[in-house]
Amino acid sequence: MTSISIPSAAEEGAQHAAPSLADPRRASWWVLAVFLAPALAVYIGLTAYPAFRTFYDSFFTIEGLDATFVGLDNYRALMSDETFWVSVRNTFIWSFIAPVLDVVTGLLLALALYAGVPAARFLRVAWFTPVLLSYVVVAILWMWIFNYDWGILNAMLRAVGLGALASSWLGDPNLALGALIVTHAWKWAGFNMVVCLAAIHSLPREVLEASELDNCGWGAKLRYVIVPMLRPTLLNLYILAFIGKMKIFDLVWIMTQGGPLWATETVSTYVYKRAFNWNTFDLGYPSAIASVWFVVVCAAVIILNRLLATRERLEY
Amino acid sequence: MAAMLAERAPLPRFFSRGALALVLGLYTIYTLGPFLWLATMSVRTTAEISADHYAWPKVFHWEQFRIAWVDSDFATYFWNSTIVVVGAVAVVTLLGAAAAHALARYRFRGNRLVYGILFSSIIFPPQITLISLYQILVDYNLYNSLLGLTLVYVSLQLPLTIYLLEGFFARIPQDLFDAAKIDGYGDLEIFRRIVLPIGMPAIATTLILNFIQLWNEFLFAVVLITDPDKRTLPVGIRAFMGDHFQDIGMIATGVMISVIPVIIVYVFFSEKLIRGMTAGAIK
Repeated sequence: MTSISIPSAAEEGAQHAAPSLADPRRASWWVLAVFLAPALAVYIGLTAYPAFRTFYDSFFTIEGLDATFVGLDNYRALMSDETFWVSVRNTFIWSFIAPVLDVVTGLLLALALYAGVPAARFLRVAWFTPVLLSYVVVAILWMWIFNYDWGILNAMLRAVGLGALASSWLGDPNLALGALIVTHAWKWAGFNMVVCLAAIHSLPREVLEASELDNCGWGAKLRYVIVPMLRPTLLNLYILAFIGKMKIFDLVWIMTQGGPLWATETVSTYVYKRAFNWNTFDLGYPSAIASVWFVVVCAAVIILNRLLATRERLEY
Repeated sequence: MAAMLAERAPLPRFFSRGALALVLGLYTIYTLGPFLWLATMSVRTTAEISADHYAWPKVFHWEQFRIAWVDSDFATYFWNSTIVVVGAVAVVTLLGAAAAHALARYRFRGNRLVYGILFSSIIFPPQITLISLYQILVDYNLYNSLLGLTLVYVSLQLPLTIYLLEGFFARIPQDLFDAAKIDGYGDLEIFRRIVLPIGMPAIATTLILNFIQLWNEFLFAVVLITDPDKRTLPVGIRAFMGDHFQDIGMIATGVMISVIPVIIVYVFFSEKLIRGMTAGAIK
């Protein structure tokens, strides 16, 4: 993703020959330190050190101030922990499938605005609003929408004579995960919409005009011109949505706490439960889960990024 | 403009204008409807809501807001959120801008490595630091304190801030810096008198983005704060809901109190905000 710039030999030489600050692109070390040290200190103290400490802790059983070295026991226990595997399955279902829903909705909404519907500016602002609401607010709203007795969803089903379909959306293990995915998509569709819209507007005009001259219909234009040209943006959005879903916590925690029967348990909620909510008081085991998940998320992002890069290379 | 676009891009044949308008209208109700419903409930009492959940408020009970603010402790939560978020946003913007400037402007060995390290933490799942931060803050007596939460928030928003600002600062023309050097400006003066003023649009965007994200933050707040007097709004609302599950009217009022600042920011800065949020996603 990032490349380390290695100064060429010539540059090196110049640096040694003329250590003066004649080149305005160079600065003395103390100037760099003044600019970079505070940010690096925050990074080291509150991101890097805690991350390493979590790795380190994962080899211990930690109860209060007592830490007992247990080697790989936590990881062994993890492999046979059924709840962990259920949470991994749920998180993967969510991370791989739901982003498709988000991105497709976003693209369709963006195309509608691009096609020139009236009040496009208002619609864009209106559709984006849910993105700004906190998960706590979204969760409370949708718990009410999904309420069995008076939620709008069941109320509408009953009103049109489909009362038999009215369900306890968050209480039924078969429906709860789907209900959460819909809620999450509600929050994020607007984000995908504005990104797609910005990308469509930055497409080269000539290509779109040429396709119009060729009497290209909308379906064909979408399929052969717009989507292929937007591919980098769409894949990028997919990866962003994917990362977000691998981390999902707030929405689940407030709406279902991982229930019913672990149907909506995600890795994040499970780590939280094991660390702060169960009576086990052991911080070593949840550290092991967090470490494993850290590796999984980073690996998944790198692999997806690779796929994106290869795709692009094949394109040209 | 809309008319011109419509001519340029005729609507798909299989979609009549009416059908499209209907679908878009429904989608707009789908996004805004729940929010408006919440707004109506916030000025109705729970008894009225229980009678009919979807009625328009007959009497606007504005006193609901006073009750929530004073009697239900939402004022405490609101000010806690304000202190933590304003503090964290101010600090992270300053630190982030300084680091972004150094990374965007100066050539030095390891520049891209430092940038990569600072930026890569944006993909970290929060749990990797969450448990240890809890232990660390307990060790340093910062657990259950607004200062501790503020510091953690600074670290959470640092990668995004550096990423957005570095991208913008790198596009400031080098000529300006050369001229400033010739005029005898020192490095710090250049940062203060050239980078900050010119970078203001990008800085404003990161300010707004960081504000909204931290205002809505829940996970770290719920782990690092247990004292009821120190709860931020998201944690406070959730706690209130835990204690008064049936009091829908008061919950709705509390939720509105937490949403109003975000809506105000959005009304004034919607373009900046949308641009900031899309900046990272387009390549």
